[in-house]
Amino acid sequence: MSPYTEDELKAKIHGGYILESPEEMTPGYRKAIIVQLTVQADTELMSAPAYWLAARHAPSTNTQVSAHAIIQDELAHANIAYRLLEDMGVSKEHLVYGREPHEFKHPYGFDQPLDNWAELVVANGFFDRAGICLLGDVHRNTSYGPLKRALVKVDMEETFHLRHGEVWMRRLARAGGAATELLQRCVDWMFPMTIEWFGLPDGLKRHSGQLDYKLKGLTNDELRQLWMSSTVPLCEGLGLKAPAHYDEQKEEYVLEYPFPCQYDPEVKRWLFEDGEITWQAVFERWKGRGPMNERYVESVRRSRGAVGSWLN
Amino acid sequence: MSPPLGESVYEVFARKSRGDPLRHIGYVDAPGVELARVYAWKTYDEENWFEMCVVPRGAVIPVNRPEGPWARNLPKEGDER
Ligand SMILES: [Fe+2]
Ligand SMILES: [Fe+2]
Repeated sequence: MSPYTEDELKAKIHGGYILESPEEMTPGYRKAIIVQLTVQADTELMSAPAYWLAARHAPSTNTQVSAHAIIQDELAHANIAYRLLEDMGVSKEHLVYGREPHEFKHPYGFDQPLDNWAELVVANGFFDRAGICLLGDVHRNTSYGPLKRALVKVDMEETFHLRHGEVWMRRLARAGGAATELLQRCVDWMFPMTIEWFGLPDGLKRHSGQLDYKLKGLTNDELRQLWMSSTVPLCEGLGLKAPAHYDEQKEEYVLEYPFPCQYDPEVKRWLFEDGEITWQAVFERWKGRGPMNERYVESVRRSRGAVGSWLN
Repeated sequence: MSPPLGESVYEVFARKSRGDPLRHIGYVDAPGVELARVYAWKTYDEENWFEMCVVPRGAVIPVNRPEGPWARNLPKEGDER
């Protein structure tokens, strides 16, 4: 039981207080950090099968090694986040093995197939960068000591994933022809996918308590801007067209398409021509999960039952 | 749900270079000491550690703090461990 009321704890946290054990958490804090860590753990976990199926397209043994090293990192990140949850009395066993595939809390982007090497490296360049924006912010701001320490490793490794993505995007962009066309197609679907990942705009945001408890420091819109501030110049530098630009007057990046809008996962295309949709419609699409959801979840846990039964 | 694999928690400590402090860097779940060593080495591979060790969570005895993950190892009243 926390020795503090919700308001006392929030005030202490804003004075710089760091929690070191679940016993110090109020019910509100506990609930908010469980949501945050579950999203984090599920996202890391589901990135692994997405990258794993894509790693088959690696063009050399060297690239096989680097692609699989990234997958190994992601599984370790997932494991660390589930372990933190376990210390709060949440069952890792249940989270990983006891839920239906659609109950996982990862973003819709990791329900999509990555069908070639270009898609994998753009995922490293875009999705892993989103991870760095989100988790780097948590690392700098979180009031939970064990999480802050765990993120040292994660941040270090995510930087490597991002570099892998950028270096390979540059190589493909320089090649011209089919390689560059393919790269542009990746940007066309994966850029808006990442933008949507950051969630509701601040004006519509429901109050989650994550800022009150200093579980993070930046708002959704600030994180979206942060991501664009490195991704748009990256694309421009590579001669790729990103659907956003910096607006000098507004002093921020602005999107050049209706946001949010509908997505057709079968052809990997955003339906800009159908105009803006409601966030309710976005949540429904997310809830319905994407085409690879079941396959990805099954691929990380298919042998559990058999091996478990041999051992028991 | 599938049966659990009989794992328990091991704390992972590591030292980056000679002269550095041994730091708590994380934890792994493992069914025994041998696999705990393997899992720790493979999970926390972000540095070229000079030294790494694992300690079963149950072996860490808190001295001054009655809460946190090691609190359950505090000696009970009249306990002569
Ligand atoms: Fe990761
Ligand atoms: Fe990553």
